[in-house]
Amino acid sequence: MKPATPAVRAERLSKSYRKWGRTRAFGTLKSALLGRSLGAALAPSEVVAALSDVSFTVARGETFGVVGPNGCGKSTLLKLVAGLFKPTSGQLAVDGKVSALIELGAGFHPEISGRENVVINGVMLGLTRKEIERKLPEIIAFSGLEDFIDEPVKTYSSGMYVRLGFAVAVHVDPDILVVDEVLAVGDEAFAHRCLDTIADFSRRGKTIFFVSHSLVLVEELCDRVLYLEHGHVKGLGDPREMLAAYRLDVAAGEGARLATEHRKDQEILLRTAGGGGAAVERAETHFPFKENPPSPDASRKQEAQLRVEQPLEQKIPLEPDEKPRRWGNRDVSITGCRLLDASDAERYAFHSGESMTIEISVAPRISTADFVFGIGIFTPDEVCVHGSNTEIDGFLPERLDGPATVRVTLPRLDLGSGAYLVDVAVHSRRETPYDYWRGACRFQVDSPDRDAGLYRPERRWTFAGAVSVSAR
Amino acid sequence: MLKNLAGLWRHRALAYVLVAREMKARYRGSVLGFFWSLLNPLLMLAVYAVVFAVIFQSRSPATSPYALFLFSGLLPWNWLSSSLTDAASSLTTHGALLRKILFPAEVLPLVAVFAQGLHFVFALPILLAGLILGSLGVFGPRIPLGWPLVQAVPLLVLEGVFVAGIGLLLAALTVHFRDVKDLLATALSLWFFATPVLYTLADIKQERVRALLRCNPAAPLFDAWRDALFYCRWIEASRWGVLLALASVSFLLGYAFFDRLRDSYPEAV
Repeated sequence: MKPATPAVRAERLSKSYRKWGRTRAFGTLKSALLGRSLGAALAPSEVVAALSDVSFTVARGETFGVVGPNGCGKSTLLKLVAGLFKPTSGQLAVDGKVSALIELGAGFHPEISGRENVVINGVMLGLTRKEIERKLPEIIAFSGLEDFIDEPVKTYSSGMYVRLGFAVAVHVDPDILVVDEVLAVGDEAFAHRCLDTIADFSRRGKTIFFVSHSLVLVEELCDRVLYLEHGHVKGLGDPREMLAAYRLDVAAGEGARLATEHRKDQEILLRTAGGGGAAVERAETHFPFKENPPSPDASRKQEAQLRVEQPLEQKIPLEPDEKPRRWGNRDVSITGCRLLDASDAERYAFHSGESMTIEISVAPRISTADFVFGIGIFTPDEVCVHGSNTEIDGFLPERLDGPATVRVTLPRLDLGSGAYLVDVAVHSRRETPYDYWRGACRFQVDSPDRDAGLYRPERRWTFAGAVSVSAR
Repeated sequence: MLKNLAGLWRHRALAYVLVAREMKARYRGSVLGFFWSLLNPLLMLAVYAVVFAVIFQSRSPATSPYALFLFSGLLPWNWLSSSLTDAASSLTTHGALLRKILFPAEVLPLVAVFAQGLHFVFALPILLAGLILGSLGVFGPRIPLGWPLVQAVPLLVLEGVFVAGIGLLLAALTVHFRDVKDLLATALSLWFFATPVLYTLADIKQERVRALLRCNPAAPLFDAWRDALFYCRWIEASRWGVLLALASVSFLLGYAFFDRLRDSYPEAV
């Protein structure tokens, strides 16, 4: 056995691609000869960095995962490790025979049989013809395509194609196996067989370089994980830490998106609030005019009539499957609803266990001493997670005679990961709705664990008797 | 470069299976299959024999019977032109392979030249049969037949090496300039008329035109094919030297160019 030199060592690895500008999109020899010199035409005009300054080592026998959003440089890194691309700068030492499961079945010729393609593919991946002839029965058995192996590959389904490709690639018996998101294809049984094979590789002390968007798989299989973002190393280490960091970043991104959507939603809903133009226009279209043709005057009369009838929003006929999102007589109107974090910053993505504040802004049409503020948290499929109001929580209304802001803080949001909706409402103590707003806000919760359910309490485990456990 | 050339030898198994694949894929699904390789040149010979015996009467005694004269130049030319066409697009059509599997890319243009070479070799027995019939006077004036025919073997190797060099150059260029393919079609037809395939250089009366046509690097090769097959003459050592030099220069330049751009292929195809 050789001493434990790393299987892969990357030092300050960078890779940039040239950007094919409009002038270079269809590079022509003629233009190169006429316009610039041939050398200039072959030199990169503008470069895009796909990887910058990436350093890591992968020990022999390690299963090394790479995660990150699309376009973070994962595939580029794999192609560098597989030796397909050359780094722009930096050092990359790969020790051992690499087999890449990057695109399975690459190089299968559609017109010739599966068996012949296996031989060709095996030779391309570096086996001798003798070796491949010897392994042929095993490969065919692994692919499970005994009945079709002598048919031309063009008659195969995409799943069969991938199975055959995978069967060849794992039988090349590499020292380093590069796996890029290939397990998504093929049926459940084959996926299990693939995973078994990968686990078997790992047991036999082979190095595995694993890329997947399936974080559960990465966590299950990998010893260490590299987290890439925009071609930079965002983190490198324990899979659970790295994946938690990645999940938080994803949630933050979703939070930003939700915040934008929230603003748009509010704009639309606020325009319909307080008997505003949009709602009335909509109402008009649903009320057939009795007089014909309607004079502008008559229409205005109708509008006035509508204003008198209370509550306005309930009068609006709805599509059969549409549930009302907002109703009430608008004696008090909700003018805004926001979610805030512990430092009072507006936010729509929270980690489980964080503090969350719901802020409701209201403006009364009349001065009143009869009001209750309420909140509700629902799942998207309308399971009530929590509902409460100022009445339940023991506050007696005294006066409301101008714009006001009400906040309710939930110091620990012990929710499981997922999306939630917030309902906010102002109503009278006898529950006549002034303004009830369904789904005024949406927020996202992420949980660091893989625990299940809506409620995520703190857990303390105790073990007594003839049982022993150890922390992972 | 030398190291890569040596590596190429280690990948001969790959070249072998790829050539076999080309041959299998080409005839898969056709009724006559492999026999097309024989039938095609046979039909071609029949057409030329009829056309030049009936429609165009032969003009120069040096080129008659013209059907055989033409055939002995046209077969090696077809190899050259079809190889170059295939080789030029070999990298771009196999782009998926280059991006996903690590193997020496020069295998692809070389396989194109080799596979077309096999078709040429399969056509040679038809040519031989034609020459034998010609020596019996079937096509008109009798032609000589003898040992100089064996010169076809070294000529085959020399043309292969010569064409491979140009093929490598074209393959590398096509990756970066997609219009090489279109340019090539025109260039090949110009080259065809500039090369003594339809005529012999001896028949060109204008001294200056002949001198110009002699500069064509393919001219010595096709002269040699004609001498070996049609006239059945031994080729002088000095001409072998020229052919060897042309083939080596073509291959080394083509390979050097290809090798220089090697790293760019997986990304640019």
